[in-house]
Amino acid sequence: MELKRRGFLTIAGLTLLGLTAKPGWDIFSKVELPEPSPTPERLAKKKWGMAVDLKKCWSLEKCKDCIDACHRIHNVPDLGTLKEEIKWIWPVPFEKVFPEHELEYSGEDYHQKPVMVFCNQCDDPPCVKYCPTRATWKRKDGIVMMDFHRCIGCRYCMAGCPYGSRSFNWRDPRPFIKKVHLEFPTRTKGVVEKCNFCEERLNRNLLPACVEACKEKALSFGDLKDPGSDVRRALYHRTIYQRLPELGTKPKVYYIL
Amino acid sequence: MTDKREKILGEDTVLFEHIYKTGKGFYITVSILGGLVLLGLYAYITQYQEGLTVTGLSRQIFWGVYITNFVFFIGISHAGTFISAVLRVLKAEWRRPISRASELTTVFILMFGVGSVLIDLGRPDRMLYAIRYAHFRSPLLWDICSITTYLTVSSICLYLALIPDIALLRDLGEKREWFYRILSLGWTGTESQHRRLDKAITFMSILVIPVMITVHTVVSFVFAMTIQPLWHSAIFGPYFVVGAIFSGVASVIVVMAILRKAYHLENYIKPIHFNNIGIFLMAMTLLWFYFTFAEYITIVYGNEPIHMDIFWSKISGKFAPLFWLHFVLCFIIPLPILAIKKYRTIRGTVIASISIILGMWLERFVIIVPTLTRQRLPVEQAIYIPTWVEWSIFIGCISLFMLLYVLFTKIFPIVPVWEIREGREKAVSQVGERIRSYLPDDKG
Amino acid sequence: MYDGKKIIPGLLIFLGLVTYPFWHNGVSGKTGYVPKPKLPVDKKECVEPKDYIRVNHKDLLDDWKSSAIRKGRRTYVASNQKRYTMSLTRTCMQCHTDRAEFCDQCHKYAGVENKCWDCHMFPKEIKKE
Repeated sequence: MELKRRGFLTIAGLTLLGLTAKPGWDIFSKVELPEPSPTPERLAKKKWGMAVDLKKCWSLEKCKDCIDACHRIHNVPDLGTLKEEIKWIWPVPFEKVFPEHELEYSGEDYHQKPVMVFCNQCDDPPCVKYCPTRATWKRKDGIVMMDFHRCIGCRYCMAGCPYGSRSFNWRDPRPFIKKVHLEFPTRTKGVVEKCNFCEERLNRNLLPACVEACKEKALSFGDLKDPGSDVRRALYHRTIYQRLPELGTKPKVYYIL
Repeated sequence: MTDKREKILGEDTVLFEHIYKTGKGFYITVSILGGLVLLGLYAYITQYQEGLTVTGLSRQIFWGVYITNFVFFIGISHAGTFISAVLRVLKAEWRRPISRASELTTVFILMFGVGSVLIDLGRPDRMLYAIRYAHFRSPLLWDICSITTYLTVSSICLYLALIPDIALLRDLGEKREWFYRILSLGWTGTESQHRRLDKAITFMSILVIPVMITVHTVVSFVFAMTIQPLWHSAIFGPYFVVGAIFSGVASVIVVMAILRKAYHLENYIKPIHFNNIGIFLMAMTLLWFYFTFAEYITIVYGNEPIHMDIFWSKISGKFAPLFWLHFVLCFIIPLPILAIKKYRTIRGTVIASISIILGMWLERFVIIVPTLTRQRLPVEQAIYIPTWVEWSIFIGCISLFMLLYVLFTKIFPIVPVWEIREGREKAVSQVGERIRSYLPDDKG
Repeated sequence: MYDGKKIIPGLLIFLGLVTYPFWHNGVSGKTGYVPKPKLPVDKKECVEPKDYIRVNHKDLLDDWKSSAIRKGRRTYVASNQKRYTMSLTRTCMQCHTDRAEFCDQCHKYAGVENKCWDCHMFPKEIKKE
């Protein structure tokens, strides 16, 4: 009796295990491949970058055309509080963006001047490492993408980003959007967002909205691999700053002074 | 019926009293805890509907009470393993009456550690994406793996050590006999069954120790792997493990004192237990201080502006009250109490433990929050004041933990009866033999 | 029967509750209800044949979503070799402009909730605002 029962239990157990194998396999085999599958070759050949000419930017005081353009087309809500603020591009005083450039004795007066900051689209983006679901990842052309469909809202990417480039939707943003731009989705509460280098516009051969909106032509955008591109020409033989280059994130947004 | 009980349980009848006798105290406790759990539930529903805007969290300080709770609760869960597994492996005989109480603390509080992260999610409806689209470069995935393993292994440990007692309850044949019959897995207490159980428990105990160490190490890695000032530290792994055992053991002392009082276990959980565990807690206090000191002195000598900003915000800035309070609670108060034999009484160790528990919660808080106020880009007006929602959920979690604990003691004995018996019947002579084996052999 | 006085009424009540949706709909005359999604007037064909879309639109949209966002491929080659941009807002919603008259018809009827509309907005919805 003893032996029989044991034998039966063993067989039953093994059968059960066998039955779970197929669905188990199905579940795991359905998982998408680790890296987003090869992007079109066109993308892989490019490496988008941006240059900000600070002197040109400062020539018009209190201009915020680039911010308005970006926030309008991306449906960035204006929540009116610092606590829940969402921003893709915003001004920060020079001395805070570049704390390593001490200006004490240089006689220059620009340490309080605003510097436009956005997501640096790092070449070695820290945020990507931390995301538990690959909701954020680096595309072949260097754009650090955000998939709002997949973000679970753990905010670990925000902890990972040393530039504070990421914002979180603390509440449903839709009531705070003045006029919804139809071609870009709004976001739900509970997901993280940031500048995407106007990936949806590049796709249609348009320049990023901020670059297009700047009357002073302070912003230049283009393919860093192409010596003839706007961004490369803007950077040529100039003094270039990057934000916190010592962290090894290799930002692709350059500041020219 | 009492005769049968006497016959089966012998002199340990009092250990089963809390299962069969339900007093007024039980109903009062359950209704108070139940009420608080409902409050927490209400708070969570509010948060689920409105979004995380109902918390005090902001764009700058985006992690707060929930993540503190996550680290804190998982820290406490290290107690059970330490007391039941480590002491078992070390053959410390005094562990017997308190092993189940501590294992139970581990299993239950661990669930709230996991729960705290889920509460913190912006899109809790998508939480399974972390498994479906698992990205193993993310330290959060390491946490998921490690914590689920720990929960499984420690649940098995708890259950294995329950089997002989469940069989006792089955033999009593009073309430819920069918339930105990199923769970007892046909235990009859034969010699071979005992041998197998012993083997299984020893195996699980040895297995659970490295798992425990990985758990808090990877919890600390969530912070240490980022490049944020004062998080990016190589000693965070061991520092967090030490802090976890520290707070966990303190919680077990408090649990022991409550159980002793509520269930009249004075004869089982004795001052000697508090004394022994108190000595260990003192050692942990010193070890904790050593790590804290090593962590901060390294920062000070490095003198990097970004690190120093946050360092000063803790030492003399806006986090100074919390920082110094946590230091007093974790070190200044408990150390003398635990170090001086006269004060290492039940009351003394309980006071020291409560102080440590509060202090360690604050420690987690002052590790997590100040770093966020000024990351590399200084932000003005970064204030974080937790709201009623966060406090209610916190209280709800703790109440639900206690409620589960209370309900567990209504079904199972909290002192492992068979281990006590084993101690009485076998271990006394075994220990004598063991000591003899340490001594020089008799010539002759 | 042992405890029959309790068991039989209990069973009856249980059966009554379980079958409630059926006779409720029978009484209120909803059994014959068929959802009528309103199709766009000026367009003759969707990206794929109607029968295919009716069954597989969820998978199609899912594929579009991952293809466009995660892989950067935004051109959809339909079974009849026509090309479309993979975009819910810029392709689908250009014809199906009203959620209440199209999507919700079946989705409400079948009790299937979807979260597309938390982010993607219909042109009609904006006009109302």
